[in-house]
Amino acid sequence: MSPETSPQSVLLLRLAGPMQSWGDRSSFNRRETRPEPTKSGLVGLLAAALGRPRGADLTDLAGLRCGVRVDQPGTVLRDYHTASDYRGVPLLQAGVSAKGVQKPTSPAKPTHVTHRFYLQDAVFVASLAGDPEFVASLADAVRRPAFPLALGRRSCTPTQPLVLDVRPGALEAELTSEPWHAARHARQVYRRRQGGTVAEVDLPATFDDEDGTDVVNDLPLSFNVRDRRYSTRRVRHTWLTVPTGETTVGGAAAASSHDPFALLGW
Amino acid sequence: MPYLSRIRINHLRPASQRLLANPHVTHGAVVGGLAEITGTERPLWRWDTDHAQRPHLTVCTPSKPDWSHITEQYGWPDADGDHVLVRDYSPLLERLATGQEYAFRVTANPVQNIPPSQGDIAEHRGEKKIRSRRAGHRTAGHQWRWFLSRAEGWGFEVPPAPLPPTEREGDDPAAAVDLRITHRQRLAFDKKGKSVVLTIASFHGRLRITDHDRFTHHLTNGFGPAKAYGCGLLTLAPVTGNGC
Repeated sequence: MSPETSPQSVLLLRLAGPMQSWGDRSSFNRRETRPEPTKSGLVGLLAAALGRPRGADLTDLAGLRCGVRVDQPGTVLRDYHTASDYRGVPLLQAGVSAKGVQKPTSPAKPTHVTHRFYLQDAVFVASLAGDPEFVASLADAVRRPAFPLALGRRSCTPTQPLVLDVRPGALEAELTSEPWHAARHARQVYRRRQGGTVAEVDLPATFDDEDGTDVVNDLPLSFNVRDRRYSTRRVRHTWLTVPTGETTVGGAAAASSHDPFALLGW
Repeated sequence: MPYLSRIRINHLRPASQRLLANPHVTHGAVVGGLAEITGTERPLWRWDTDHAQRPHLTVCTPSKPDWSHITEQYGWPDADGDHVLVRDYSPLLERLATGQEYAFRVTANPVQNIPPSQGDIAEHRGEKKIRSRRAGHRTAGHQWRWFLSRAEGWGFEVPPAPLPPTEREGDDPAAAVDLRITHRQRLAFDKKGKSVVLTIASFHGRLRITDHDRFTHHLTNGFGPAKAYGCGLLTLAPVTGNGC
């Protein structure tokens, strides 16, 4: 799968929606989100688009090289959430009885408080590189998905367009050349901070890299409901200089250098 | 013969902090640099910065000034570098002509006149005429409109901004002309025990001269009120490809 040996093509996905949630190693009552999409989330989205059942083999999807760019980081939303049994019986505790059956909580506890974290108002560009035919079939599947697609959780629906493009080329180069996908208000904030329109913006990005410096625990081995398994992958964090898609024309705000002596001949 | 000067200020000196905080003190320091003030012309000055925490004072004076007292008290008297820059302003004034375009910066004090209310009239019963009250415009929208409404009388116009394609359909009226407010502040300071309150705004943009005589007059005499307190000095710079 190395990019030197075989021709590759890159699928570019724009992941944006009111809410997203990309969990890794969350369990029990606290469901956290990563600040950027996880590989298991992306593989799950593609598997849903292809119509694969829960226990299906994922090696081809997990074998795609993936890169994620943060176009708009968004903010974290904490959802205070309670859960209880509809019959009104006490919830179960972690300990088991001599028969191996979970004991009810004592004193009886009818309600769990759970915390679910979401990213709101975030935009990512995720890209997956692999065999051209396979990548093209994935793009078709995402355009006409077999199961509903979601951004990390079933409640987080994506906004269109989801598929940006399928291009031949290298993962890093395609992700760098793709223009900035931030929303209008985020651009305005950025422009105000920069003091005018700028041609390029630096965005954080994460790539699959065997020599990477960080390890994340989100490589899916199986999505089987009774046997969910994940492995680790090495990633490299970097910054990409990306075109904003805005021309730098004479906005008055682009006035960081105003030299009144320039006209006085010095 | 007007002169334009730039004086760098060492903001870490305690005296400089008083200078930076109080426009009344700054005005005294600026006037102290002039041997004689001829006619009705007055010095105009403005705080500027090309870098955070590196303030400099831009001054336009009717005659050749001497800023050694400012350097001694608020600067670096013996350090290397151009701490004071004084240039003759008249070559530029002679070169200006109607129709030319420049980038500009000005810090101004946008105000409105509020006519006397019934209460004011009742209070001053017996007086022949009560003056209207001058109050500062406090919102960016009012300040922005104040500037544009005065521009014609000052002898220039603000041309439409060349917009990026993504913004062209926008409904933001502020994007239609090449004018931005980059800084707004409410200044409150002491003047001989009395408190002075000003609302000031810094405007950056592009202008086209429509009336040469009015424009050059205001260039050396100031735009708008509060000229003693760091307002009204408009400086010009060449229009580059990147605006001003």
